[in-house]
Order: sequence, then C-alpha cells, then structure tokens
Amino acid sequence: MNAPDRFELFMLQEGEKKITEKVVTGMSNASDFILLKEDHTLGNLLSAHLKQAPHVLMAGYKIAHPNVPEVLIRIQTDGTLTPREALVSVCKQLVAAYGHLGREFQKELALRQYADQGEHAAGGGGMGGQNGF
Amino acid sequence: MDFDPMVMDDAESLGPVVKISQADSVRTKFELSNVDISFANSLRRVMLAEIPTIAIDLVEIEENSTVLADEFIAHRLGLIPLNAEGVESLVNSRDCDCEGYCEHCSVRLTLHAKCTGDENMSVFARDLVPTGERLNQVLGTPIVTDSEGLGPLILKLRPGQEIKLECIAKKGIAKEHAKWAPSAAIGFEYDPHNKLHHTDLWYEQDPKAEWPPSEYAEWEEPPQEGEPFDYDAVPNRFYYNVETAGNLPPDAIVTEGIKVLQQKLAGLIHELTEGEGGDGANGDYNGPRSPEYNTGADGFGGYTTPFGNAGNQSAWGGAGGTTPYGTTPYGAGQSSWS
Ligand SMILES: [Zn+2]
Repeated sequence: MNAPDRFELFMLQEGEKKITEKVVTGMSNASDFILLKEDHTLGNLLSAHLKQAPHVLMAGYKIAHPNVPEVLIRIQTDGTLTPREALVSVCKQLVAAYGHLGREFQKELALRQYADQGEHAAGGGGMGGQNGF
Repeated sequence: MDFDPMVMDDAESLGPVVKISQADSVRTKFELSNVDISFANSLRRVMLAEIPTIAIDLVEIEENSTVLADEFIAHRLGLIPLNAEGVESLVNSRDCDCEGYCEHCSVRLTLHAKCTGDENMSVFARDLVPTGERLNQVLGTPIVTDSEGLGPLILKLRPGQEIKLECIAKKGIAKEHAKWAPSAAIGFEYDPHNKLHHTDLWYEQDPKAEWPPSEYAEWEEPPQEGEPFDYDAVPNRFYYNVETAGNLPPDAIVTEGIKVLQQKLAGLIHELTEGEGGDGANGDYNGPRSPEYNTGADGFGGYTTPFGNAGNQSAWGGAGGTTPYGTTPYGAGQSSWS
C-alpha cells in the first residue's frame, strides 16, 4: 500500500540531479559524489576503477540503505588533480573500454558465424539462401 | 593465455578480450578476459535489469467468462515475451506528450476467443493480434518459437466461454518489473577450480569427488598439488551464458547492455563537465527522466558513439540499412568492420 513506485528506482524526480559533488571537510582533496537512482552497477564499477587510477589515494562507495536508490562515492586524490577530474577520467576510460568490448564482441561474433556457416540453419526466420539448404 | 591470434588486432590488443564459444538464436556463450571483476559484473547486472524491451502493461477486459480472474490473466499477459526489435525508437510512455498512451509510446494488441465447439479450447500467444499503428512490422508481436507455432499458453476455455480484451504494451526495463527482462537467464562464472577460494564448497568427504567440475574447468590450469595460496591473485577470465527470452537476440542483449552502460557513464561525464565549455556543451541533455535519454541514435550528445565507429551505428543494427537484427544470427552478410 505504501510501497514506493518501482520506477522510482531509476527515474529522476523533478529537479533532481544525477550526480552532485560534496566536498568533504576535514580531508584534503576529498569529495563525496552522490549518484541518484543508481546502484551497485555503477557504484562498484567506478570505485573499483578509481582505486586503480593514478593520483587517487582512496576511493570507496556505499549504498546506505537497500531501499534507497542512492550511491555515495568518496574519492581522495593526491592533489595533482581534483576528485572530479579523477572521476571524469575514469568514466571516459570505461566508456572507451566498453566500446572496445563491443567491437571485439562484434568481431568475434562475425568470426563465429563464419565458422558456423553450413552447420546451422539461418536463425530468426532468415531465408538466407547462401547456406545452400 | 591462449587466445586466438586473429583477435589480436593492432592497437586494440590491450583491452577486453572476447572469445565466443557458442552463438545461436537462443544463447550466446562467451569468455571475457583481461578485465577486472567489477567491469564484468556491471555488464552482467545491466543485461539482467536495464535493457529496454516491450511488454504488456495495461489490459482492458471486455468479456471474461473463463474460470480465471481478470487480474490473473492480466498478469499472464504481461509475462509473454514480445518482439522488441526497434524498441529504441519507441517513446517511454511516461515521457510521451500524449495522455495515457498512443502509437508513439505503445503497441496495442487484442485477444478475442470463444469456445464454440464441445471440446475445451486453448488460447495461445499467437492469438494475440497487434492492431493499429506500429513503429515497424514486428515490434510487439508475441514471440513464437515452438514448432507448432503456438507460443505460450495463456488460458483455456470450456465450451461456451469467451475472452475478449485489449492490451497496451509499453517500453520498460526489468528494474521496474521482471517482465521487461530480455534474458531468460544469464550464466556468469569465473575461477572454475576455485583457486581464489571465493566460494566454499560444502562436502561430506571430498569436495573433488562430490562436486562436478565446471564445463570451463578444462579451459584453465588446475591447481598443483600442494600449491601455496596466491594472495595477490584476482579473477580475470569470466564466462557468460546469455540466454534470451525471445524478445531480443542473445547477441543483441550483450551489445545493448554495453550501450546502456556507456550511456550511463557518458551521462555522468556530461553532468560532471557541464559548464566547462569544452566537450559537453551541446544542450540536448536537459535533465533526462528516463533511463535512456531518448535522443535517438547515440543517446548522449557528441561524446563517443557506442562503438559502432565503423559505420554501423545502432549496436545491433545491421550493416547499413537492413532490418536491425532479423538476420543477425547468421548471414548478416557484409558486416562493416571487414
Ligand atoms: Zn504516447
């Protein structure tokens, strides 16, 4: 009855921002980033890759409550770049890595299909006369 | 690692490596290596929960004299896999300008059956007929894969009983309801010999004798007798088994999953660099409300294209002009990477 709507897990409400930065007081070069309507998919991905990034001293994430779709990522850098710059560069690197993965997947798939040709009938209703049966 | 030298390709030899061991119309099995576990797991999670597909979301029942309650039937209808080809150009009904639903944000299906004979009659998914305007000829058509061409059983009618209803199918993701999940199941495993001790195998006498080896056990070196535990080891080969529910081809689930992740990350980059002048300055990103930002082709303005640099933009779109994935599994012909 008072259950929240399921779409509140992924749809930003009016006026909400996807990501906000809060500078951590009492820690040098440290910021918290609050991601709304996200979960472990991004939280774990980003914090794991921030840990491997240059100039990042510390990174971690938490989801304070399982029913609240908010991720907090804390980043501390050595001062050569800001936490925000570190996060942006990790995001860019990941976009490129997933892009690479997509291309590799397509290439492999085409190779696979080439190898399979003749072994299988064409899938998905394709008449595909080139298979010769 | 013993990967095929053919995939070792100029500058791209450092990134993720993919090896596909099976690809047909139901499943794609592949190994992903040279990545860390967070990267692999994010892809798995996104394929499970965040790829947009289409499913019945509203049912208006005009006549129901069956023994089943209206809401029971409505629930069954929701779970019927519908063809999601071209769903990316369907507007999210919550963002649509219309009131309720229209042909830009939904597909209408009708079902009308009456048992006039003297034997019980079965009503199948093939009896659900898409009506009215559609974005393309197949979007929203119930998936039928059995040899008789019937599709899933919806209900049964006794002589004289009748069912008449209209369904509205909308776009959605599995985070909202599992009926929008593109995959029936996603197998995901790593470290088949459990060298990393990420799992504890329960056993009576001997775990080796009692647990069947993984099908990937022979792909990796078994541990040596008395081998010391490697505290620095991390998993880096992951085995996926993506099985489709029928609405998207299995390879499209993978490529769409990658696209969704890229869009998420690009959205963050955009917000974080906003106001810096630089790259993110094209204004097509004013507070997105849906998971995918409904900006047609690549979703995110000007940053990177999802990986179809070679000219075949929409990930699982066919090379140049052919229908998106009708012919994907085999004989896609001239794939543009050459
Ligand atoms: Zn509409």
